[in-house]
Amino acid sequence: MTIIEAKNLTYTYPGVTKPSIIDVSIKIAKGEFVLITGPSGCGKTTLCRCFNGLIPHFYQGELKGEITVAGLKVVETPIHKLATHVGLVFQNPENQLFALSVEKDVAFGLENFGVAREEMRKRVDWALKLTGMWDLRERAPHELSGGQQQRVAIASVLAMQPEVIVLDEPTSFLDPLGAKKIFEVIYELNRKLGITIVLVEHRLDLTSKYTDHIVVMDEGKVVLDGEPREILSSEEARLIGVGIPKATRLYQILQKDGKIKLGNTIPLCSNEMAFMLREVLKS
Amino acid sequence: MSVFDGLRFRRVYSPVHNLDPRIKFIYVCAIFAAAVIFWELPPLIILFLIQIPFIILAGVKHEWLRSMRGAAFLATIIFLTNFIFSFINAGYVVAASSVEYALAMTLRFIVLVESFSVFFLTTSPDHLGLALEQTRIPYEFCFAFTTAVRFVPVLAEEAQTIMDAQKARGLELERGNFLKRIRNYIPILIPLIVSAIRRSLELAEAMESRAWGATKNRTNLYVLEMHRGDLVLMVVTIGILATAIYVRLFFGIPSLNELLGSLF
Repeated sequence: MTIIEAKNLTYTYPGVTKPSIIDVSIKIAKGEFVLITGPSGCGKTTLCRCFNGLIPHFYQGELKGEITVAGLKVVETPIHKLATHVGLVFQNPENQLFALSVEKDVAFGLENFGVAREEMRKRVDWALKLTGMWDLRERAPHELSGGQQQRVAIASVLAMQPEVIVLDEPTSFLDPLGAKKIFEVIYELNRKLGITIVLVEHRLDLTSKYTDHIVVMDEGKVVLDGEPREILSSEEARLIGVGIPKATRLYQILQKDGKIKLGNTIPLCSNEMAFMLREVLKS
Repeated sequence: MSVFDGLRFRRVYSPVHNLDPRIKFIYVCAIFAAAVIFWELPPLIILFLIQIPFIILAGVKHEWLRSMRGAAFLATIIFLTNFIFSFINAGYVVAASSVEYALAMTLRFIVLVESFSVFFLTTSPDHLGLALEQTRIPYEFCFAFTTAVRFVPVLAEEAQTIMDAQKARGLELERGNFLKRIRNYIPILIPLIVSAIRRSLELAEAMESRAWGATKNRTNLYVLEMHRGDLVLMVVTIGILATAIYVRLFFGIPSLNELLGSLF
């Protein structure tokens, strides 16, 4: 079942002549873990803003083409209605937390909807436990590390029980360990709760093993769209400047060399590569 | 950033911290009113002493002493001006009564500072924001208040970073006369303002994404409830105010001089 569908989407920010995304058509199925990648300024963030209605409602500008999310036409649906279906997590964790305690922040969306207190309590606790922030629920945001703040941001969209969570480079302000933790949390959400994840990310080393669908963008257009192993091993992806996982790159080099006979499945992470090398050395 | 230290909030639990901020505010107003209707020293001393148990109960002695020290300079000015005026009025004679009058005025000021500092030292900003919300102040204002408090440490840190960056490029903040020093801060203020504007835009985006303004009837995760302590404080407040008004209207209050004179 398709949950997000964009057809010939072109968008220009107000006061700019050049469109930021051009003729984008993608389909995202329910329950997928989608990775959107591409060089900076290629329109990834703009596309994310289309998913939850910030474009065109908040940014105005000119939107052509069609986009439906969870069966709702984005152009005709107000942002707060879309918020129950799509949660958006931003790049800078600091600027998306407004309350003086973690709990209160997670409750913010629910408060806006006027959810009753008992129900709210239940959902807030649930979201905090899933993201591993339960123990820190009474802290103030500035007392947390970047990774913890980002987990609070995820919890706060999670509390609204959306079907899709879109994360726009959630780890660019974080250290590697914090980033790894974030990816684990969102993978859990995807696997256990079947929430569709759309992740914009440069660090493919850490994330490509989780995905089942990769979209590569360049200069506002979708260039590649499909199965991760296929896309990451393609010459095009490398030329655009996609951060190909080291394991995949190593595999490519060894294959080109031709001296070692490796298996046919392209590895996406070091574990897979290690397994493959062990197999070769055994025989 | 010592200037911002006072604005940083810590979560503390004590019987006084847990009191309903609305009642605490009424208490502060009552003390304020009581302090204003007396100009004699003895009742002001009583008002000053009444509040000591609160401070001890809340465990904010050190913070309180610091705020008292902060008030010392103004208190001295108040004492001196009052003393000089009554000295001139009394015909250039140092009278015990004029000293007492100046002391009373100073103490009145100290009582006001004391009661306000008890309020602000024992009320966390989120409690205060909650109290604002539940007194039916439009949510937008309460939100602006709590968000402002939340971003104080963030902006303080950012100001520090910008200062370091500009100093690294050779900006000298402590140089020149008074006007020049103020002008030195422009290269710090401009980036700070620009980034604050950018931040506010991102914040607005995040708020929109989390259904800001979805319904008119917002609910709240927390609710302020009246406990026994609040009722006790309410009774104490009414007691203080009623006694103060009663004493003011129906008693001649002796000055400290007369009081001491009658004793010995």
